[in-house]
Amino acid sequence: MNINSIFPLQSLGYSEIMQLLPLFIISLGAVFSLIIGTHKEKGHSFAFLTSFIFLVCAIVQSLLNMQLVDVSILGGTLALTQFTKTLSIMILFFALIAVMLTNGQDKKEGLLSEIYALILFASAGMILMVSTTHLLFMFIALEIMSLAIYVMVAMRRTSQFSAEAGLKYFVLGGLASAMLLYGSSLIFGSLGSFELVSLAKILSGMNTISPIFLIGLGLVVAAMLFKIGAFPFHGWVPDVYQGAATNVTAFMGAAVKFTAFLAFAKIAQNLIFISSIPQLKWFQNFIWFVAAATMIYGNFVAIAQTELKRMLSFSTIAHSGYLLIGLYAMNAKDGSTSSLVLYLFFYALANLGSFAIISLFEEKNQKDLHLEQIAGLGMKHPFLGAMLTVFLLSMAGIPLTSGFIGKYGLFSSAVTAGEVPLVVIAVLTSVVSVFYYLRVIVYLFMKESGKEVAKYNPITGAFIAAFVSAVATLQFGIFPKAIIQFIKMISR
Amino acid sequence: METTSTLLTWIIFTPLIFSFIALLFPTAFEGKLRTLTLIQTLISALLATVMYFQFDGSLATAQMQHFMSWLPDWGLNYIVSIDGISLPLVMLTAYVAPVAILGTWPSHGVELKKEKFFVMMLMFLQTGMYGTFLASDLFLFYFFWEVVLIPMFFLIGIWGGKERIYATVKFFLYTMVGSLLMLVAIFYMVKTSADLNGIASASFSNLSKIPFAFDNRSLLLALQSPQVLLFLAFALAFVIKVPMVPFHTWLPDAHVQAPTVGSVFLAAVLLKLGTYGLMRIAIPFFPQAAYYFREFFILMGVIGIIYGAFCALAQTDFKKLVAYSSVSHMGYIMLGLFSFQKVAMAGSLYQMINHGISAGGLFLIVGFLYERLHTRNLSDFGGLSKTVPLMAIGFMIMTLSSVALPGSNGFVGEFPILLGAFQVEPMYALFAGTGVILGAVYALKAYQLVMLGPATRTDLDHLHDLNLKEITAMIVLTLFVFGIGFFPKTFFGKSDSSLNVYTSTILEKVGTNEYQ
Repeated sequence: MNINSIFPLQSLGYSEIMQLLPLFIISLGAVFSLIIGTHKEKGHSFAFLTSFIFLVCAIVQSLLNMQLVDVSILGGTLALTQFTKTLSIMILFFALIAVMLTNGQDKKEGLLSEIYALILFASAGMILMVSTTHLLFMFIALEIMSLAIYVMVAMRRTSQFSAEAGLKYFVLGGLASAMLLYGSSLIFGSLGSFELVSLAKILSGMNTISPIFLIGLGLVVAAMLFKIGAFPFHGWVPDVYQGAATNVTAFMGAAVKFTAFLAFAKIAQNLIFISSIPQLKWFQNFIWFVAAATMIYGNFVAIAQTELKRMLSFSTIAHSGYLLIGLYAMNAKDGSTSSLVLYLFFYALANLGSFAIISLFEEKNQKDLHLEQIAGLGMKHPFLGAMLTVFLLSMAGIPLTSGFIGKYGLFSSAVTAGEVPLVVIAVLTSVVSVFYYLRVIVYLFMKESGKEVAKYNPITGAFIAAFVSAVATLQFGIFPKAIIQFIKMISR
Repeated sequence: METTSTLLTWIIFTPLIFSFIALLFPTAFEGKLRTLTLIQTLISALLATVMYFQFDGSLATAQMQHFMSWLPDWGLNYIVSIDGISLPLVMLTAYVAPVAILGTWPSHGVELKKEKFFVMMLMFLQTGMYGTFLASDLFLFYFFWEVVLIPMFFLIGIWGGKERIYATVKFFLYTMVGSLLMLVAIFYMVKTSADLNGIASASFSNLSKIPFAFDNRSLLLALQSPQVLLFLAFALAFVIKVPMVPFHTWLPDAHVQAPTVGSVFLAAVLLKLGTYGLMRIAIPFFPQAAYYFREFFILMGVIGIIYGAFCALAQTDFKKLVAYSSVSHMGYIMLGLFSFQKVAMAGSLYQMINHGISAGGLFLIVGFLYERLHTRNLSDFGGLSKTVPLMAIGFMIMTLSSVALPGSNGFVGEFPILLGAFQVEPMYALFAGTGVILGAVYALKAYQLVMLGPATRTDLDHLHDLNLKEITAMIVLTLFVFGIGFFPKTFFGKSDSSLNVYTSTILEKVGTNEYQ
């Protein structure tokens, strides 16, 4: 037997190998940091350094790869284009910030040194997920990502909330994964392909469709809505966000959401937004209603929260609603993902930054920061307070911050697509969101400190992570031209 | 688009540059931060004065344009320019700022709370205000419009009175409701411009040319036509800021809780953002829709005039009285703008400036009294004129300006509005006229309760008269009160040709409408 038939790697050219190199680098980095992390005293620092260096190498390599031509590998299942390469760089950037955030937090919370390897494994899964157009491959990528995340969520070993969160996320997430798999197989059964692009081609030539396909699509959509935390499937979000260690929450809120949404966008673009089949209109309307319901639910429930992480978790549900508008707007003629990517990126920055600041004020095993505990902190630590204000204003979509630019792009693309009512709901509910974001700022700067004020634990890593996010948030808020042009160019 | 001058950009960003200087100021010099702010406001005023003299009053078009590409992909650019309508408002901002700083200078021994943050917010606020008045691109306008909220939110929330948090959150949310709907309208307009011209653009000069569909066969059809919906979205954002009855309730709260300097900026400049928006965007871009709803806005304006006056009459809190007087005076501007009459519309612009001066001055007086006696309750004063004669004089002048005595600036604003409105809407003008009388009643009542009558307080020993800085502030305001009162042409002359073209364009657009 020829060795080539078992390992067909020979068929990969130089350019293809180079483009896969970032994935190899982070996978290797993950393995190294797993091994080196077993060192008795310095395990954490070594694992941190290893993962950090490998991530930086992967980012550099991906940046170099941007000049290479687009390739698709493994019979078209893995498309490494300008677009997916940019998304990979963004994911690696989030992972880098998450690694910095974890350094210092790991000892405080008693997290094992394996967490660094898990972050890298998860990001490898994410990169695969945004790069693939194959439903089965997507399932595998989703599992690579999710399994790492489940462990990370449950890793605060001395906290009961963390165990609860991990179990909840694992059971429900497993269900969602199963739905994705089952749905994909039904789609394959009815149309004979797993490949999204060829499925889209088949679909656009049809004008009616079998119910098997519709059931399969329904399952896939449900799985994706679960992963992005949209309204009827949002139940896990608050508990998981609260129970996980804050650095893990930050990574989840930024990167998992980013990945899941872009995967969903891919599925929607190829399977749902096909005008020739009338039954698919149901799904389009369904997304409309989910978007509206998610915005309304997330924002109104967030008002009632008095704990910071929990409030942010409901706000993240609301943001899923805004993003679904952008997704729905892709239905229009020449709709594109560019505004979705922009919004996701800017939201991820604000998210990483705000959780970084929260992690600076948390005690070990603390479930959450109560609003009373942060009263007056902005005055005591003006720099941190100012940064948290920037992040919250960015989430609220106030000018000067990148969140405003993201929101502007998202909503204007929806108006261009003719979705004015949805945008009106969005802006009215974002007034509601302004209320609860402002309340945090009010507590930070305008209330006197009470008895139970949170203590500041200086952690350099988290501080740097917050600072980088804050600078980026302001930079993209005031001078967004370059990034907008770039993303517009690549998402064509 | 080409750049003819960068002066306007300097005017906008000088305060911001100074706020960075303030940030880097060593803590040891915290006491000097006010001086820094004063220097900044004086430099801004100087730049504005230079601009005033460079401004060519014979031209009706926008001048001194500065163009920078900002977000060309979305059709959004940094365009600032000035014309005869924004000119007086920029000058008002430039001159009120140093007056407000001088008039609220903390006296010796007063503990400063987070002084660095405070002056930074003041500077940031000025950048936002200049930017809003000078923007010639709708997106840029919105950008600055929202930016103004942030410093004001902190100014009221951190340095305000007892109920400051309630007041500041209310202020923020009220404004947000309106402005987010405005944002949707902006999306729609940019999209329409892209559909019509092929390229998206949000510049005023481009958008004002778009004829948005308008249907007035029935109210229902009108409410479905794009022009009406756009107009209502913008108008809501602006009338909340004005504030027009019934959206005025944030104003008394915000004013009463704000620190004096915040109140001065709020009354003198921030409220004008609303009327400026109406004048710059809502009416000229959607003239038919505005004309269609004119009766409603006039009615609300007149209700505001009378209701505000009665509310002011009933107040025992001096600051609240002045706040409600603002509601009343801003009603005249609404009346003038929506009467679609040349004289009245010009009068509205004058009234914006004049109200800025008189309300700013009155809030300064309230601040003087509060700092000395720590009360704002009108019944706690009485007979103060003997102890503080200079303050009494300043107060008198501001009161006269507020009641629109001929010879003061208030007359220059209110008279043309009433005159113009009377020609088209005599009944409304008649009712609005009673507001002048009511205005005299509450203003003079306040004066009488504070300054005249027997002295009710015994602890007046430490009540000292105005110091040099406060006198300077009052003198500047007084100069404007009588200067505008006697020589309005000197002050507003440069706006004439702009106003002429502005009103005749609108009247022409409305006139071609079958509804006339």
